[in-house]
Amino acid sequence: MDKERIAKVLIGIVSSDGVVTDPGELQVYEADGLTVFKATPEIVVLPRSAEQVAEVVKVCQRERIPFVARGAGTGLSGGALPVEGGILIGLNRMNRILEIDYANQRAVVEPGLVNVWLTNALAPGGYYYSPDPASQTACSIGGNVAENSGGPRTPKYGVTTNHVLGLEVVLPNGEIVNLGGRTLDPLGYDFTGIFVGSEGTFGIATKVIVRIMRKPEAVKTLMGVFETIEDASNTVSGIVARGIIPVAIEMMDNNSIQAVEKGVAAGYPLDAVAVLLVEVDGPKDEVEALVGPIIEVCKENHVREVRLAKDENERLLLWKGRKAAFAAMGQISPEYYVQDSVIPRTKLPSIMKFIGELSQKYGLRVANVFHAGDGNLHPLILYNSANDGELRKAEEMGAEIIKACVEMGGSLTGEHGIGLEKRDFMPLMFTEDDLGAMRKVKRVFDPDGLVNPGKIFPAATPGGEVGPTVQREALDTVLGRALAEGVQPAHGGDHAL
Amino acid sequence: MLSEGALVQRLSDLVGADHVVAGPGASPYVVDGKLARAVVFPGSVEEVSAIMTFASAEGLKVVPWGSGTKMALGGIPERVDLVVVLSRLNGVVDYEPADMTATFRAGSLLKEAQAILGRNGQFIGLDPPHTDLATLGGILATNSSGPRRLRYGASRDLVIAIRVAHADGKVTKGGAKVVKNVTGYDMNKLYIGSLGTLGIIVEATFRLHPRPAVEKTCLALLDSIDAVRGVVARILDSPLVPFAVELLNQEASRRVAEQAGLPWPKERYGLAVAIGSIRPEAVDAQLETVRRLCREAGSAEGSVLDGRVHDAFWRATRDFALGDGLQAVLKASVLLAKVADAVRVGEDVAAKQGLRLGVVSEAGSGIVRYHLAGETASDERFRQGVAEAVNRLRAFAQEAEGNVVVLKAPPELKSRVDVWGLAEKALALMRRPKAEFDPQRILNPGRFVGGI
Repeated sequence: MDKERIAKVLIGIVSSDGVVTDPGELQVYEADGLTVFKATPEIVVLPRSAEQVAEVVKVCQRERIPFVARGAGTGLSGGALPVEGGILIGLNRMNRILEIDYANQRAVVEPGLVNVWLTNALAPGGYYYSPDPASQTACSIGGNVAENSGGPRTPKYGVTTNHVLGLEVVLPNGEIVNLGGRTLDPLGYDFTGIFVGSEGTFGIATKVIVRIMRKPEAVKTLMGVFETIEDASNTVSGIVARGIIPVAIEMMDNNSIQAVEKGVAAGYPLDAVAVLLVEVDGPKDEVEALVGPIIEVCKENHVREVRLAKDENERLLLWKGRKAAFAAMGQISPEYYVQDSVIPRTKLPSIMKFIGELSQKYGLRVANVFHAGDGNLHPLILYNSANDGELRKAEEMGAEIIKACVEMGGSLTGEHGIGLEKRDFMPLMFTEDDLGAMRKVKRVFDPDGLVNPGKIFPAATPGGEVGPTVQREALDTVLGRALAEGVQPAHGGDHAL
Repeated sequence: MLSEGALVQRLSDLVGADHVVAGPGASPYVVDGKLARAVVFPGSVEEVSAIMTFASAEGLKVVPWGSGTKMALGGIPERVDLVVVLSRLNGVVDYEPADMTATFRAGSLLKEAQAILGRNGQFIGLDPPHTDLATLGGILATNSSGPRRLRYGASRDLVIAIRVAHADGKVTKGGAKVVKNVTGYDMNKLYIGSLGTLGIIVEATFRLHPRPAVEKTCLALLDSIDAVRGVVARILDSPLVPFAVELLNQEASRRVAEQAGLPWPKERYGLAVAIGSIRPEAVDAQLETVRRLCREAGSAEGSVLDGRVHDAFWRATRDFALGDGLQAVLKASVLLAKVADAVRVGEDVAAKQGLRLGVVSEAGSGIVRYHLAGETASDERFRQGVAEAVNRLRAFAQEAEGNVVVLKAPPELKSRVDVWGLAEKALALMRRPKAEFDPQRILNPGRFVGGI
């Protein structure tokens, strides 16, 4: 790329305060939340409108420059990792709430808006925006759209895709198109649905139409303290078997409790093997009616103690521990590597046992803090890269966990995305034909492969060859073996799905 | 082109002679007056795949078919060579009650799936029209939905994995059998509502819900559409969590009441608000609030439906149809605050055109269904009237940022109005998935938006 010439063109579009070329300043953008991968973009552009995004994209198209969009950079799979020699389009300056329409239960926002700002803005009207990833005070709605982000509230209210009804998108050819809209059942193919979760590989969302919801009349949160992971897991299944769908069912193991208590003192018992946080919401009478059965199920599963948050302060304190868990890991380990795989809920006890065994085998501690209600694990593998080979061991262990989850009928990732990190794992779940169908959709939006290349598709397959070179031996050790052995659930039998 | 004898022979080689029909036996398999050259009943995913490979090689135009309840949807097909009926491809593939997920073959009846799941107090949160006959594959292909979508969402919210046989015979899957998953693109969304134009759905995995132990409905009578508007707005802006908020106009109220065995004074709108919970006291408390809101909006006392009457009422509502004779069904999707206006516009145009109108509306979701009949009108008069209604409602829906689809109409009407009405500028992008997935255009050509 002729950096000087291109920068000049871009300055013409967004003015000089919207173009970053200084090597020092570019460093800010060299990684997202998964900092083991780094790549420095040639130029960063910070547009303020959809029209500016479209003009910038047209330059990329004309000059055949690969480009990547970035929201707040909190992603955990390297999805917003720039392309060396490419352009990074930062959307932080497009952070307005364009419209709040209570009567129709919709809001229209720009992609750079920080997730929690929307809920804050809706609070006076008695409404909120449901998807609340743990990073919600930093992550952007545009990033949530790219990753189809989840959060603790998904058992009852679903993930981002269930709350996004329409998008304004700049396609890689610079065209601005509207997908979906404010009303349900838009005509034709569900482009909004397929765009959400496409990890920035189809284009750049410049406007997002979301569903907003009335705040529930009542919320109750309770903590159950358990002596075994199995009891806690059976409690999760037992609650659901009673016909109750809690807003959230979160589990934390002892390592997580230790970290959290050192960090924010949420009041979790330090000697507990596992704690469960269960939250229900709805009309007052409904919520009252649910608490009793939940406590019964806890008791049936030998709960040591049940603590029902008495007021909003106690409730927030219980949640503070959960929400601060990742950040609190610094209290017990210099670094961690988090996995995000999903298993059918009934496999919780077996996968937790397996992770325990791996921890022994690799000599690395694991802190588990995760969305038990939907089987979405977050094992945080604790390591110290100052110790020779530990990062590699952590990655290898992560790969073993992923492989086991797929074998149990699960998936690679529940909410963090494939990005660069897990692209080589895709063949564990999908055949070449399955990936071929996904590639067709990629071509629908990005026939020239210019936007966010090198993500999602395995490095060794079409669509994967572009992108940064990264060190992958650690994963190759496990992955090479897994692929050679084959993973039954993904490939075997007529009924494999 | 293959002769009919050769066509039947080749298909028989693939699925067995017992599962191929042509000639007079194929006469029920008509799409907009176009008769299939052959009808084939595959018994496995492999057979569907083999049929598609064959159809691709021979350039045969294929119409996938479940129970045929929604074959009136869509534009007139360019040609119908082969109808692929999925009725033999039925039954549960796997079901783990504790995971609350279940996989069914596409030809399964929703009713049968619900019966299997019901043994564990679970269900798929879908209640589209055609209670007895709708197949899962047909529901997904047409994105068919019913009153419960207010609480449970539509197919796009409930399908977690899908298996599809493509035009070239390749069988691919999307998603995973877990309730939360972002591995790769969300392919489920692409196939749902694509009317079989990108592939034939052969299996689908659903996230399930517990069936509430107690369900009751408050059915209120309201004098005017303005009263309806007010009470619906208040319910939606309240902490109540109904699983359905359904509005019926006078004609629909009368017929539904009749079928459900309810007494019903004429000339009232019916507003049905349904509440479910695991505990009866929680249901009753919410119903009391609903009744209060209805009273305040000037409703004569709302009655509470439960048990057999409750089920009969909802069944009659989702399966609503006017009697025999010339009929058309339109579905509008509009902003929530525009539902009442959408009903009024429909009433105006129906009155002007001399058509009988039954309105059934998922008022909490912005969906309004217009059932139009013209038994006293001539065919031509009826067609003219419906075409006028479509135009008028589209003009309105456009302002309400929505759309109007003709769900059902005689072919003579379809040649006069575009049944989808998607604006030209949106079509360029819409054509691209078709070009990627079915470049030969063998799957349902002509029936989807813009003649895709």
